[in-house]
Amino acid sequence: MHRRQIIVPAVLLIAALALTGFLVTAAQQPPGPADAGDGPAAAAARTSFPGLPAAASEPDLPGLHAPGPGKGKALQVPGPFDDRFVLEGLVFDGSAVSGTVRATGATSELLDLQVLAGFYDDKGSLLGTARFDHHLGTEEPHADAPAEHTEFTISVPDQYQDAAVSAAVGVPVFVTE
Amino acid sequence: MRRTLPLLGSAGALMAAAVAVTALVGPAGPATAAPDGNNGRTKNVIYLLGDGMGRTHISAARERFYGAEGKLAMETLPAQGYVSTYAVEKKSGQPGEPDFKPNLVTDSASAATAWASGVKTYNAALGVDAKGAVVPTAMELAKQAGYRTGNVSTSEITDATPAGQMSHVLARGCQGPVYSASACQDTAVTGDALPTSDVRVTPVADQIARNGTADVIFGGGLGRFDAADETALKEQGYSVLGSAASQIPATRTDLNAASGDKVFGLFNKGNLTVEKTKQDNPAAPQAQEPSLPDMTKKAIELLNSKKGANGNGFYLQVEGALIDKRSHANDAAQSLEEIKAFDDAVAAALDFAKKDGNTLVIVTADHETAGFNIIEKGSFTNPEAAAPPVNVDSGNTANNSTPSRAGGNTKDPARSSGILNGAGAADPRNFAPATFRTPNDPAEVKDGSKEASLWLTYLSGNHTGADVPVYAYGSGSEKLQGSVDNTDLFDIVGNALRVLR
Repeated sequence: MHRRQIIVPAVLLIAALALTGFLVTAAQQPPGPADAGDGPAAAAARTSFPGLPAAASEPDLPGLHAPGPGKGKALQVPGPFDDRFVLEGLVFDGSAVSGTVRATGATSELLDLQVLAGFYDDKGSLLGTARFDHHLGTEEPHADAPAEHTEFTISVPDQYQDAAVSAAVGVPVFVTE
Repeated sequence: MRRTLPLLGSAGALMAAAVAVTALVGPAGPATAAPDGNNGRTKNVIYLLGDGMGRTHISAARERFYGAEGKLAMETLPAQGYVSTYAVEKKSGQPGEPDFKPNLVTDSASAATAWASGVKTYNAALGVDAKGAVVPTAMELAKQAGYRTGNVSTSEITDATPAGQMSHVLARGCQGPVYSASACQDTAVTGDALPTSDVRVTPVADQIARNGTADVIFGGGLGRFDAADETALKEQGYSVLGSAASQIPATRTDLNAASGDKVFGLFNKGNLTVEKTKQDNPAAPQAQEPSLPDMTKKAIELLNSKKGANGNGFYLQVEGALIDKRSHANDAAQSLEEIKAFDDAVAAALDFAKKDGNTLVIVTADHETAGFNIIEKGSFTNPEAAAPPVNVDSGNTANNSTPSRAGGNTKDPARSSGILNGAGAADPRNFAPATFRTPNDPAEVKDGSKEASLWLTYLSGNHTGADVPVYAYGSGSEKLQGSVDNTDLFDIVGNALRVLR
């Protein structure tokens, strides 16, 4: 037999076997990441966000930086969740501002609430702020205060007690379940 | 020709041999035959979650909308089983570890972490284990593997169930738009407060807007996002429906017109509006919000329009969130319509899966909410009673319970002032059941009447520890026939997507 007659069929045999081997391998190894063990799996979690500045402080509300109300008065400033509650009974008594946050929608639990107060001198200048926080811990019984209303009292910080004549409040944090 | 014929003949014989060898080895793909609707390789997973949807929620909705002999779409799926849902305490180990401390009633956050990340954690935790360590989610793993991903909910998209796939926080209240220590830190878990640069105290909205974990995001919660978030989304190539910067929610019209690889659409500043309100007020602005089936169909269309890397398809999570929220409120009428809407979303997913042939559909719940019950027509429940039931056995006093109650189980007219959606509808302290007609009732029978067949009542305003149903269709669905734990759902989905090793 001529050498070409031997070599060509041999080449074809090798090619055929290689093709078969490829098909077998493809059948037995499902596609997907080669290794999703601890390293690559952990790397999948997104834990950093370039360009996002870390929070530098507790929340603020732009409305607190406007001139304050008149002596003895308390008013509400805008916040991002004003469509979810009403502020009732807002009163400044000279040493503290108090009131009730009443949720307007149905809530099963009030998970987090922050009421932020600003205190003003007799010229309407902002002296400083203080806040009331409510956080429903998972250890607390559900028979706690009703979810639909939360009373708060925020005292004037000691260093402003003599100067504070009015207050403004707003709600920067409001989360229900 | 003499040189060609032997060559062709040899080649033909060799190819035949190669084909024969391949046939002996078997076809490409899984070796075992798969259930209905599978062509041998899962390319897509659609995971539908009825928040708070227990077994009785499903029975009640079936009877309400399809009659006693009918079935919801989810009840037609071939694999059916139950899921245990318990959580653990803070700092607990995992089941089997010496410091394992279970909490028998979960919340949506720890339940979401269980199926999204495969670990038990404490109530309120998202994407972290009970000791505060970050754990990757199935959606993050799928994204890494080149799948297209989607996350749809009728709640705020920063709320537990959707957030469980695309954020990592110590406390579910850390939703945004701003950080506060009270809402975001948990020193009972971490010891000292974490720096605000740590992801675990970064508001969920900030994470969602920047991590690109979900290509398609539909739901509520626009109030959690701000102008910087909208910019971040657009810089990643998202088409943003409505505007976070201007706090203008998107509408159903916006949804229907949406296109592109990445779409972000929020249709309410808070949770979406319940279906019953939209039905009862078709002219109200809220009627412009899309339904869960609307969002599900659109998400499937967008995700399926482009293949992922490596020939992979998509992973979509869909949540009917308001079943839970309206069960917390003990509003059976609203709950029933939300279950119907969720089931219509299931039907849409199933319709796609049957046509596609390579999709695994899983339908389940995170927990049961409020102890929903179907009671005997004309009967009453403990909350309506003046005293608990009799507990003595006059025929065999050895069976008596303690303390003894020889009399009781009578209605208290102050606590049961008429059917809740009928004669007693004006009484806010009324514990009476609500009644609903079914297709088996005569046409003149009305909701809220004594003649209506379906009498529904709630145990409380909180979650319960009952196991929840699971239904599945497609390749791998047989793994859900029987009882599993909610952490097993992570393994089942992860293996279907081939992202676990």
